[in-house]
Amino acid sequence: MAKCFALMGWSLPVIESMQKLNKPFVVVSFPDFENYAKENNIPFVSYQFDEWSDTSNSLDLLEKLKPFDVDVAVPLFEETVEWAGALNSIYRDDPRVLNRAFLFRNKAMMKRKALIGGLRVGLFEEVYNKEGVKAFMKRLNQANLQVDGEEDSWVHIKPFASAGTVGHRLLRSMADVDNKCEDEDFPCLAESHLPGQEFSCEAYVHGGKIRFLNITEYVKLGYSNFIPEGNLLHTKRDRIMKEMQKLVDIFGIQYGMIHPEWFLTEDDTLSFGEVACRIPGGHILELAGKAYDFDALGAFVLCHDPSLTEEELNEILPPIDARPKQFYGNVMIYPHKNQISKLEIPDELKEEPYFLDHNLVPPLTTQKISDRDGFGNHFGTVNFKGEDPDRMTELLLHYEDVDFYH
Amino acid sequence: MMDSTLTESSSQKLKELIQELLESTPLTRQDKAHRLMGQVDVLTDSVEGIAIVYKSIGELSEAGIFEESPWADPSKLVGGLVNGTLKSGHPNSTIELLSELRLLSIAKGDYKTNLINAKEAENFIQEVIVSNLEFVFNEPVEETRLIMSEHELKKVHNLFNFLSGHIHLDDVKGTLAEELTLICEQRPVVTEKQRKIIALVKEKIELNPEREGDKKLLSFQRCIYRPTDNTANKSVTEYQALLEKLNNTELYVEAQEMGQSMLEYGLVSQYHAVLLKFLIENEHFQTVPVALGLTPVGETRWNELTDYLSDLILKTIHIYNAQCIYGLAKMLENGTIAREAVRSGLSNLSTIKINSQVEERILKSTKNPHQAVSARQYLMGALFRILGQPLGVGQGNNPTCQSARGISMWSQHAPAKLINMVQTAAVTNDLSFRFEGQEIKASVTGQGLVQNLDYNLDAVSVTLVPMLDRIYNEMMVRASGRAEDPHKWVNPALYGQWIQIGFASAYDYFSNAIVDFDGFVRVFYAMCHPDFNGGHRLIYPNPVGIFITSSKGDMLGFHAVSLLRVDKDPGGKFRAYFLNPNNEGRQDWGQGIKPSVFGNGEVHGESSLPLHEFAARTYAFHFNDLEAENMVDNIPAAEVEKVKKLAKESWGKSYTWLETKKKW
Repeated sequence: MAKCFALMGWSLPVIESMQKLNKPFVVVSFPDFENYAKENNIPFVSYQFDEWSDTSNSLDLLEKLKPFDVDVAVPLFEETVEWAGALNSIYRDDPRVLNRAFLFRNKAMMKRKALIGGLRVGLFEEVYNKEGVKAFMKRLNQANLQVDGEEDSWVHIKPFASAGTVGHRLLRSMADVDNKCEDEDFPCLAESHLPGQEFSCEAYVHGGKIRFLNITEYVKLGYSNFIPEGNLLHTKRDRIMKEMQKLVDIFGIQYGMIHPEWFLTEDDTLSFGEVACRIPGGHILELAGKAYDFDALGAFVLCHDPSLTEEELNEILPPIDARPKQFYGNVMIYPHKNQISKLEIPDELKEEPYFLDHNLVPPLTTQKISDRDGFGNHFGTVNFKGEDPDRMTELLLHYEDVDFYH
Repeated sequence: MMDSTLTESSSQKLKELIQELLESTPLTRQDKAHRLMGQVDVLTDSVEGIAIVYKSIGELSEAGIFEESPWADPSKLVGGLVNGTLKSGHPNSTIELLSELRLLSIAKGDYKTNLINAKEAENFIQEVIVSNLEFVFNEPVEETRLIMSEHELKKVHNLFNFLSGHIHLDDVKGTLAEELTLICEQRPVVTEKQRKIIALVKEKIELNPEREGDKKLLSFQRCIYRPTDNTANKSVTEYQALLEKLNNTELYVEAQEMGQSMLEYGLVSQYHAVLLKFLIENEHFQTVPVALGLTPVGETRWNELTDYLSDLILKTIHIYNAQCIYGLAKMLENGTIAREAVRSGLSNLSTIKINSQVEERILKSTKNPHQAVSARQYLMGALFRILGQPLGVGQGNNPTCQSARGISMWSQHAPAKLINMVQTAAVTNDLSFRFEGQEIKASVTGQGLVQNLDYNLDAVSVTLVPMLDRIYNEMMVRASGRAEDPHKWVNPALYGQWIQIGFASAYDYFSNAIVDFDGFVRVFYAMCHPDFNGGHRLIYPNPVGIFITSSKGDMLGFHAVSLLRVDKDPGGKFRAYFLNPNNEGRQDWGQGIKPSVFGNGEVHGESSLPLHEFAARTYAFHFNDLEAENMVDNIPAAEVEKVKKLAKESWGKSYTWLETKKKW
């Protein structure tokens, strides 16, 4: 049993889970949270994660955590993955743990690793400027045997180390490269477009083995998803499980959770998109917790503990072959207008049997909507629950287009 | 309406959310509570939903939904704050609603707490009901209409519907009697609101004829349910049979009693229609004026027009539209019916075929449309009421004060034009107006101010308002961009040539400020104050734009009223008597400015304020620019200062003020 978990990053639901599980922990986060932590008796070490210097580094943090007897570090957010990796490599006395953390933080390195290990990935390349993207697109066009006048091949660019969809751009033509790319985007990863149904997996790993696998079906990236996977994806579950274990093996993941995104085409090809090892966005663990009826956040933390016993694992995770009857899904709501003054919950939603709840907030006064970065600034989520995944898909697609803000 | 599976699943979901809140620690409680509140907000869309929430109110409270909020301790709540909180929108209105449900639950003994006992809780609920009658009867005042969304209104109305269905209303009798008096004294054309209150009292409150306080409420009930001794415990059919047995003297006495009952509050019972038609059908023509409660002037007109009116009454009046009898009586009194053009118009109207869409609107506006009464009869009946009670025209819950003001004005000064307009609109579902030499046709203009008409209106208004509203809006569009208030041109075009050419607006479009307010007030006094305008009376209603302010004096919005006259009140002070189409007797505009609707020399339907208080809310009016110039210098500076102070410290805070003089 771990003596103390260091939770790297501020998350109230995770703290609450730890309190309920009655496990020792200390929160490491920015100084902004210190007062709140003190008022609520939350063990806390304040640390400036975005500073790297002689006085701000993992060895310094290690010292600060000693009074708490920390022996396991848990990354909650993308930005704390290296910090946790560094700490854990010391705790486990294994320098490769840190190297693995870097793997999660560099999308090009990540893809290369996957490719070496035999996973199917798209074509990718590190690019340093717009010319680089154009050259990449050109080679892709050639490989796709483009004839004069045909559309360009689609290219995605992503920062090497950002969470989810932040900074992600889809370029559909050479002109897009000029119009959509900014100088600040570079260097970054360019990759070919992967077609197919997108989904993510949340694999709870312990001792290098997947102990529980959740599959999240994406209805529309950045907007909506549901859990467990719908009927079609479910028929592929065994294959997905095999590929997932392969990924765990290739990356050498021993403890924790990984959250990769995959694409499944109609001809049954599975392609690897990318992988993260922190808490996934889109309220995925919240949905998974409800669908499988377990403390998904608590389990996420505990799986990082090498000394967790088989018994404890079985207690905190659902059975590996569980298949819930109820599907839980959500859609994130963004205003469709540039200026909004009121929130209106449509009657059709109120009368929808699958509708569970929402946490939308009315605008205070007339509010201007700023440009959004990635898909970060949604105004709340609407949750659904029901027995039919196809109906769920329909609803999620529908409500993405409904205007809640006027 | 909810079906039973939906009810069950809503109830289940609510329980799950309560469970989640219960299991949360203080860290995530806010997020869980937020979600729970969202669900409660959704449920409040129906009374069934409120009932679901009510069932769980004990658990909600135990789960800590009120914790660390001003609602935490039910014994420390202030009834007077409820109204304001309910108006402030979700989530405040939602937690306030929960708080009322908790108190109801305590009052009913369903939920126990040692902080407050059942009797105290019941008193609190009663107090809240009394100070929120606008929600009980879904008749929001102007301020409420401006700030609450449709969903919020529905939610709060559902709450009060639920509360008043579950609590004794005995202790609110005094307030209800006062409310009824305030409404009836205005003699509104639409009588649904007072009828609703009277019916509620009849259904819910035990009244004792011996008790002084109950007598007033009983007298309201009598007007509708037992206007004469002979109607007691009789159906209308039985009453008809009884009339046949009465001799002439007995009939005369019956008519007298009936007429008086109607005049008391302007409310007409179904029995009245039976009596009136019986008198005409049996040729008791001399008794009809008695049954109508007419003065000798009205009686003379009846005698002159007996044949015409008898025919009109038999064709129009029915027990299901009997309220128009009061309008008819007033038409005889004010002489409208004596005009040849009016009679021709009414005759024409009785032969038309009403457009199906208009017919639909008319029937929708009728509370319980009866198949024995045609839409045309309802329309004619409403026209009687409009012509007889021009100051009783209301806008309902619609932002259409302009149209209501127009209907009232035409009814007084161009009744035949109004009838003709009604006829055109009823037959074609269209209207067309002249504006600066061009035609504006309602059917080919864009939307008006109102998108969802509230049908709590009279049949004439539902016929005309959708078109008038569009035409008004189109005129406003065409007259905009001229660097002056478009009403300067729109008012005369919409209302007619009675409107004076001169137009004064406190707000200056060029400088986006209030400019030369002193001058503005001087022109206003020179326009209407008999001491400074040469002792003249106003001839035609003056369309005035006013600022609506909250009870704290804060600026809320704009409103249209008509200044009818300036006169000394019974106390010898000059007051402005005006038509406010929103028929509300309990307004509070802040700074102690509270328009009164009776008791200060008002004619039925007028509102009034001391003149300087009215001036302090006025921002635009018309005046005779040829005459005013010589008079403005006579207005005492102290009076101007008084008005300015009130204005500056209320709505004036929302504007920049410039003291530069301008030419008015």
